[in-house]
Amino acid sequence: MLIYAVKRFGIAILVALTVSVLSFSMIYLSGDPAIALAGEGASQEDIENVRRVYGFDRPIIFQYVDWLLNALSGNLGHSNYLKSDVASVIFERLPTTMILGACALGFALILSIPLGVLAAIRPNSLIDRIALTIAVIGQAMPSFWFALTLILWFSITWRLLPITGTGSWLNFIMPSIALGYYVTPAVMRLTRAGMMEVLSSDYIRTARAKGLRPATVLFKHALRNAIIPVVSLAAVQFGFMLGGSIVIETIFAINGLGFLAWESIQRADLPMMQAIVLVLSVFYIVLTFLADMLNAFLDPRIRVS
Amino acid sequence: MSDAVSTERPIVVTAQILEPSPGALMRRRIFGHTGFMIGIVVLATIFFMAIFAPLISPGDPYDQVLSRKLIPPIWHDSAKATWEHPLGTDLLGRDYLTRLFYGARISLLIGFAAMLISGVIGTTLGVIAGYFGGRVDMVVNFIITTRLSMPVVLVALAVVSLVGSSLAMVIWVLGLLIWDRFAVVMRSATMQVRNLDFVTSAQAVGCSTPRILFAEIMPNIANSLIVIATIEMAHAILLEAALSFLGLGVQPPEPSWGLMIAEAKGMMFFDAWLIAIPGAALFALVLAINLLGDGIRDVTAPENRN
Amino acid sequence: MNFSKLMMTAAVGVMMAFGANDAMAGKADDTLNWSTTREIAVIDPYYNNTRELVVMGHMGWDGLVFRDIDTGEFKPLLASSWEWKGDTAIEVNLRNDVKFHDGSEFDADDVVYTLNHVSNKDNGVLTYRNVSWIKNAEKLGSHKVQINLKKPFPPAFAYLANAVFIMPSGHYDSAPTKADGKKDFAAVAPVGTGPYKVADSKAGEYVLMEKNDAYMSGSPKGAPQIGKMRFRTIAESNTQLAELLTGGLDWIWDVPKDQAERLAENPAVTIENAKTFRISYMAFDVDGDSGTDVFTKKKVRQAVAHAIDRKAIAVNLVGPASEVIHSACHPDQFGCTQDVTKYDHDPAKAKALLAEAGYPNGFEFDIYGYRQREFTEAVIGDLAKVGIKAKLNWLQYRALRDIVRKGETPINHMTWGSYSIPDVSAIVSHFFTHGPDDPAKDAETKGYLDIADSSIDEAVRKENYKKAFERIASEVYWLPMFTYAKYYAYSKDLDFKATPDEIPRFYTAKWK
Repeated sequence: MLIYAVKRFGIAILVALTVSVLSFSMIYLSGDPAIALAGEGASQEDIENVRRVYGFDRPIIFQYVDWLLNALSGNLGHSNYLKSDVASVIFERLPTTMILGACALGFALILSIPLGVLAAIRPNSLIDRIALTIAVIGQAMPSFWFALTLILWFSITWRLLPITGTGSWLNFIMPSIALGYYVTPAVMRLTRAGMMEVLSSDYIRTARAKGLRPATVLFKHALRNAIIPVVSLAAVQFGFMLGGSIVIETIFAINGLGFLAWESIQRADLPMMQAIVLVLSVFYIVLTFLADMLNAFLDPRIRVS
Repeated sequence: MSDAVSTERPIVVTAQILEPSPGALMRRRIFGHTGFMIGIVVLATIFFMAIFAPLISPGDPYDQVLSRKLIPPIWHDSAKATWEHPLGTDLLGRDYLTRLFYGARISLLIGFAAMLISGVIGTTLGVIAGYFGGRVDMVVNFIITTRLSMPVVLVALAVVSLVGSSLAMVIWVLGLLIWDRFAVVMRSATMQVRNLDFVTSAQAVGCSTPRILFAEIMPNIANSLIVIATIEMAHAILLEAALSFLGLGVQPPEPSWGLMIAEAKGMMFFDAWLIAIPGAALFALVLAINLLGDGIRDVTAPENRN
Repeated sequence: MNFSKLMMTAAVGVMMAFGANDAMAGKADDTLNWSTTREIAVIDPYYNNTRELVVMGHMGWDGLVFRDIDTGEFKPLLASSWEWKGDTAIEVNLRNDVKFHDGSEFDADDVVYTLNHVSNKDNGVLTYRNVSWIKNAEKLGSHKVQINLKKPFPPAFAYLANAVFIMPSGHYDSAPTKADGKKDFAAVAPVGTGPYKVADSKAGEYVLMEKNDAYMSGSPKGAPQIGKMRFRTIAESNTQLAELLTGGLDWIWDVPKDQAERLAENPAVTIENAKTFRISYMAFDVDGDSGTDVFTKKKVRQAVAHAIDRKAIAVNLVGPASEVIHSACHPDQFGCTQDVTKYDHDPAKAKALLAEAGYPNGFEFDIYGYRQREFTEAVIGDLAKVGIKAKLNWLQYRALRDIVRKGETPINHMTWGSYSIPDVSAIVSHFFTHGPDDPAKDAETKGYLDIADSSIDEAVRKENYKKAFERIASEVYWLPMFTYAKYYAYSKDLDFKATPDEIPRFYTAKWK
């Protein structure tokens, strides 16, 4: 287990380093970063000044190492637009997005695991068909359309839910549904497939043959094993959702990381863009690492291989 | 985590009792598969619209007449509705049906081209990793993990905004970003195949590695490849719609369906048909591609059925 | 910034996410909720040149004088009286009963400090043009100052009223130092004398202003009525609409025409279409810097002018208050005239001109735009009808302005709001006196403008501006398109009147 963990950890660190190189190189995509950073009405003199102060005149490798060391000590640079420390803005906005992501994931799991289990118990039944339909629709509908339709029904027509803001838990209902719905198909399919595999396995047959109650077999033996891959999928999807919340946060005017990312992209706030990509990627790496560990803990076969 | 993406659910088809000839069996599987048939028919219709757009459209997709804008479609109970514009006109008075036909071209082009690019990258990486294993596999796995950790929408938006948006740029950015599923699935499929008898015997008689890869491995993983290809094509089309919604997708006046939805979004609460028409088209296209993918898997790989 | 501090910030963020109390239902809690799509990070009219800060500038601060929008007359505001001393000096007596929001007394030191700070180019005021005419200010007494001008500047009072807000003395001294060693004046907390004061704000999210109960009496702005004004950023316009319809917002603007017309059917909402000082124009790459030389040919530029149906765009897309214009200025500005060479919508003539210029089958080029994509799309549609294929490049304003200044755009379709200054110098002199935005760098045009800009004789000014406009029109350096009209949508509960200068006077708004 320890060897496995160390190996995984090593890979995670390497991936994080690679991602940091990629995020760093983003600043060169726009051409001359000094011009971009100097911004609004800058003179040639200002630009040269920025170049010198930020060290854009040095070899790129030095710039990168500096940037990385700063990032490691929690200094992700300064946003010219927001007049603030990039790290503090990000960490201020991150919780909102995390809450949204968690609610969305919760919604997705509550909807998809029971459906997946039921579909696996009764393949080809009506419930299986319904589950399939939900999955297929979820894959085919643009998220912004779905979100705007939710607003149209729940807020304008029925006046049930607030549209924008993050003041109460009611504010999170529509964004969570809109964001979580897109994760539902994958989780449901995986739950169903896992359940079917487990249900046809020897030990379940044995358990049934021993005369255990069907519910005990289902929940105590089958679901516990079938859920293992779902755990790692959920972790991965949580990471995806943080990145995918851009559209949803824009529509519901939620001041989270996704909206910050979108605004930063629009005003070419390069340090902010770099930092958000880096933070989200690292977050994802941590999540997958934890999921791997959890999996290994739950399923001894993994850590042996 | 590599399991995450290979979760497509096999559709269960009741096992055949009698075993007729393989050809007849295949035909029966195809025609007996409702999802597959729906997918094929819808997709064929959209392809037809795209290919023959200049012939079947009532007008020119760029021809604007500002004084005749926002004519509702014919099923609307409105004095303005006219058979001249069966689906009405958009915010600039362009014929909506015509734009829908031409839009099919662009949406299909984006989906297909992005899928092709990502397919080439992903399959190459996946097959190499799966066949050679060991160090090669480790490196490829590392590349895949790195790619997966970068948020797709965010990176696509950032790159397009910094480099500039155009049809080609959107295709390249999407193609270069969404190859991960190809790589993951092709890798595990290749791993399953590489130790089978026909591969080991080909190795034994001294076939060259490229020959083994193309003649022995590829044909046997082709069905998974097609399935992933359909998923990614649908994925690319939806991503383009999301980019268009944020104003960084295909640039007007080109009519992609994603862009048509984005341009109509302001009227969402008032003239819902304006967004519903391209929305339904996009929905049908993505749905058809997905159904087709599921169908191909069921039909070509009956042994995967539960 | 260390990690424990970051974690603290994160923890505060979690609490904020659930604890913040969003104001709802404007009239009930005496809060006017308004929204635009833009984020506000800096609350200072000198260091944030967005429209939102022009609006907030007049709420939070006062200028020396006030311009009556109906009569065009200048009235005393922080100044009690003034007198020209020759062409380049104004002597100003100040009110002695005014207090800043922080309680400090307003006096001559504040005016001297503010004017000397903003007119110093090193201090980096964003729209330096607004203050570049000021040489300095001198204190003549505790409530008496003299403003010295660099050269005769006839529209001085228009700028004093619209763009020169008075800050307390020493205001910018507490500015933090940026990484490059310069002071970051934009980071100073806002303090003014205006009818509203900033009570709370969060960069990029909201700005809450509260009624200034100690606001000076007898101000031409009147006494503020509504208790609180809350600005929020909502980037998605559908969401703004939905909030307005459900009472979460009381006021929005920039509603597209089609939506506004449909919204007017809703009984809870008032719709108003008002003029603005903003005009739409297309600037040609006259000197061929952009890589294509087609627009160096005057006939091609004329062809483009004839090809575009500006009237149809104004009527069908912009709104009833919009009008087609022919010269590079807004009709409501001093010195503007439409008596110049005009180009009617005439596709046949456009084609003929193209053929004469050597492009019988048209050509392809890149058009650049940033604002109201459907307007630019309509232009592209019109050009397509005469065989010119324009490829759209859609950019953010800042990005576009940068490449326009590098001369990389064959045609840019842009807009200019003149900072609501009612004088043509705020537009034509900005664009045609060889500054970075000048598409032509024509000496003759600049000659006329230099005379007009520095004369205090109204007749001389008008005559020379007219010559400049005619030169621009006949050479087609610009194709002036139409004036912008803005749709405002606000709650029926709100007693509000839109003004023709795109500056909503929230300080005069009240509940019905």
